[in-house]
Amino acid sequence: MIPSEQDLRTLTEKILKLSKADSAVVHVSAAHHANLRFANNDITSNASQNLLSLSITSNFGTRSASVSWNQTDAHSLQQAVTRSEQMARLSPPNPEFMPPLAAQSYLKANSFSAHTAASGPDQLANWLQAAIDSTRAAKVAGAGYLSRKTSASAMATSAGLFVYQPSTVVDFSITARTQQGNGSGWASTQVTDSKDLTLKSTADRAVEKALQSVQASDLPAARYPVILEASAARDLINLLLWSLSQRSSDEKRSFLNQLSKGDPIGQNLFGKKASLYSDPTYQAAPSSICSSDGLPKQRTEWISQGTLKHLHCGRYWAKKQQIPAIPAPGNLIMPGDNQPLEKLISQVDRGILITRLWYLRMVQPQTLLYTGLTRDGTFLIENGKISRPVNNFRFNESPTNILRNLIASGTPERVLGSESSMPMHIPPLLVDDFHFSSVSDAV
Amino acid sequence: MKRRTFLQQSTATITASGILAACPQPSLIAESLAPSQPSSLALQFAELSDHVLSQATGLGASFAEFRIEQSASESIHTREKAVQSVNFSEDSGCCVRVLVDGAWGFAASHQISKAEVQKLIITAIAIAKQQKGKRLHAVDLETLNAYQDTWQMPMQIDPFSIALEEKADRLLHINDLALNAGAKFCRSGLVQVREQKWLANSVGSRIEQSRVRLRPYFSVTVLDPKKGGFASRDSLAAPQGTGYEYFKDYPFDQEIALAVEQAKEKLAAPGVKGAPLDLVIHPSNLWLTIHETIGHPTELDRALGYEANFAGTSFVKPPLLDKLQYASDIVTVRADRTQAKGLSTIAYDDDGVKTSGKEFNIIDQGRFTNYQMALGQASLIGREHSNGCAYADSFSSFPLQRMPNISLQPGADEQITADSLIADVEDGIYIVGSGSWSIDQQRYNFQFTGQTFHKIKNGKLAGMYKDVAYQGNSVEFWNACDGLGGKGTYELGGAFNCGKGRPTQSAPVSHGAVPARFRQIQVLNTQAEAGA
Repeated sequence: MIPSEQDLRTLTEKILKLSKADSAVVHVSAAHHANLRFANNDITSNASQNLLSLSITSNFGTRSASVSWNQTDAHSLQQAVTRSEQMARLSPPNPEFMPPLAAQSYLKANSFSAHTAASGPDQLANWLQAAIDSTRAAKVAGAGYLSRKTSASAMATSAGLFVYQPSTVVDFSITARTQQGNGSGWASTQVTDSKDLTLKSTADRAVEKALQSVQASDLPAARYPVILEASAARDLINLLLWSLSQRSSDEKRSFLNQLSKGDPIGQNLFGKKASLYSDPTYQAAPSSICSSDGLPKQRTEWISQGTLKHLHCGRYWAKKQQIPAIPAPGNLIMPGDNQPLEKLISQVDRGILITRLWYLRMVQPQTLLYTGLTRDGTFLIENGKISRPVNNFRFNESPTNILRNLIASGTPERVLGSESSMPMHIPPLLVDDFHFSSVSDAV
Repeated sequence: MKRRTFLQQSTATITASGILAACPQPSLIAESLAPSQPSSLALQFAELSDHVLSQATGLGASFAEFRIEQSASESIHTREKAVQSVNFSEDSGCCVRVLVDGAWGFAASHQISKAEVQKLIITAIAIAKQQKGKRLHAVDLETLNAYQDTWQMPMQIDPFSIALEEKADRLLHINDLALNAGAKFCRSGLVQVREQKWLANSVGSRIEQSRVRLRPYFSVTVLDPKKGGFASRDSLAAPQGTGYEYFKDYPFDQEIALAVEQAKEKLAAPGVKGAPLDLVIHPSNLWLTIHETIGHPTELDRALGYEANFAGTSFVKPPLLDKLQYASDIVTVRADRTQAKGLSTIAYDDDGVKTSGKEFNIIDQGRFTNYQMALGQASLIGREHSNGCAYADSFSSFPLQRMPNISLQPGADEQITADSLIADVEDGIYIVGSGSWSIDQQRYNFQFTGQTFHKIKNGKLAGMYKDVAYQGNSVEFWNACDGLGGKGTYELGGAFNCGKGRPTQSAPVSHGAVPARFRQIQVLNTQAEAGA
């Protein structure tokens, strides 16, 4: 069982009462994490983890230090508080210091499912069986990860702020590989309520992709129209979102400084088809309702029909620039055209369908150029139909180009990516002129 | 109370009241990997360990393991004139791992009490037994030796004994030097970690170990106010498994001046023309290439498909053992968890396997000769024993096969330096410092950048390029190596945070290298790649 709101209110009050600092901030997070991994159609590890994290930041004037620990006995609490205060007194003054926030008004969180929280650590193997049965029946090697995390987090400040949020999330991803190693497919899902889990159909998708991708034919690297399935789309768009920083833009070391002259906000930098926003209470992909410093997260439009609407901005920089502080996003929603995948495919004369991306890394911050690779299901589209599996590619491409070259999109869904687990509800994207730099021999 | 005095006392107090109460401080230094005398820590947990192991085996475990860990970290991060954050973290907890009917069960908790441990035993046994009748293959354990031992990493100065004021002052001084030299921005920091592990297993091992690691860093950025644009240059200081003496003695003052100068030169430099070119690669860049193109492909769990869903598989399939010409015959790459200052260095891995005596060549004169292995894997390729490569990144983590320190061995000719290698290049680039990195999930196709790219023309350095990346295929790349620096050019690089597994575990690892020359490697202009 995770701690209740009252449990964590009592605990954070107890810690704050020990504080002798000018001001203090306390965070607590308690979690039970059940997770299992499987490979070659057998479970390889099956774990139950009971976890706790506490932290206190103590401030004297603009001097500040934080201590985190994971024990709740009275001595450990006192020791951590004392240590943070002594470290804070020794820390240099921070000219960018911001005092803790007072009580805030938050949206009502909807990131918790009692049904999911009630499932025990032994439940995962039962859930998984249908997926393993699917890969065994197809005579492919199934490998993957199933995780159920139930957590409760709270934040309190000496200025009167308290916020509590329970959460549940179930992640499932599966790779199916043919016995000869010449075909590979992948699929995933992420849900808040385990009643919404679709393990068998997710596994079936991975199996189907694996079998379809056997004996890929050679195709040279070049610029092609592509369909990025939702997982691939989320990995690229996520990178753009994290780069939408007000401070970097003001300091002239952002990709935005190459895209626009002057203030980028209000300029159409991304093309009319691009719209992105965050909403912590979005039912299909809820997130945290507050930032790590206690700012309430609200529905925030980042890009609307190609126009940059907001940049995230920390409290110090907001004060300095006399603009509102805007917390970084906890989730991302990209509305789609709700076209079925087949309809997107039908619009492509000659292009590539991408299931999944891998190892995305920044190459050039000035242009927000990222590199990465395709994997686990890459197909050639010809005359509006998938014609054959093809080799994987390395790409060098910028997420800004993805939005600028966006032609059409499908139905948003909540899937996992290779690079982050932030909840995202995003459609498959049909994008023109995607730059593949070289061929990868990997299957 | 003086600041330093306080922190010295404070550290002692924390430890004295924590779970590892009787553990001697790591500043009591062992001079080598030779076993030291068991500390009273062994006595403190002997009874609880015996209880766990007897309970677990009594409930049907053919193998059981009880691990307790306490980790501490301190980090200071600065930018320009400000210390942005000062953090200290201390976590402790325990886990029980059991093998029942050929299936693993694992349970962990931050609470270390007899009652909580009893719950862990029952949970671990239950989730292992749940797999009965459902498995295709049973986990096959090798014969393990029993050890009773204590090991502490050698170091001169425990970084946790030094006042944070001293560290912060040094970092702000670095920033000041950068700003005074013309940088617009400078961030710097120091991260230090202490790991303490206690491992007991049903074979009879009782092992206590502690080690420390440091990661100092800085990054300077210069702007071009007229044309726009910016360029950065990161420090070449590598993280290491060492004491505070490393940070104290590192010549940051000299490096920061050079870094600002090089950032300015890079900002004004011409872009490279994409083409196949000869490369001379400095160890500060090559360590990461070794990590990605040799370290990861030769992990046996990847080759067997265990990591297929995330980190990926490998082009190095088991039938290639002792057959694959991985590199040119001047290349030998060695795995060694006993290496001085190595981030992966430890006396016993987290499966309880002794690392001394388990050093091995992954590539021997160009030929692929061995995989990295953890428990339960050796028999799958017809070997009797694993080779000390298991690691769990916390008390709550299931041990995985992780990299030992994997290093490119110096060339036979001790006189060869980077300059000698450069002298035999007509048209090429000398690459220094690590930058961006990416490689496919079977480790064929890679792309790396760096910090500085020095043009080589007719055997001499001739200015700088910008916007450089090099791309290739792992085996073709290593077979294109035709020159290695001698012993005196060897340097250790590494990372704190190699990610693998689910939930993702972060492992520290070092890679030593000498400067090396590679012929006709594809170079890209990243600005052109961006279509800009």
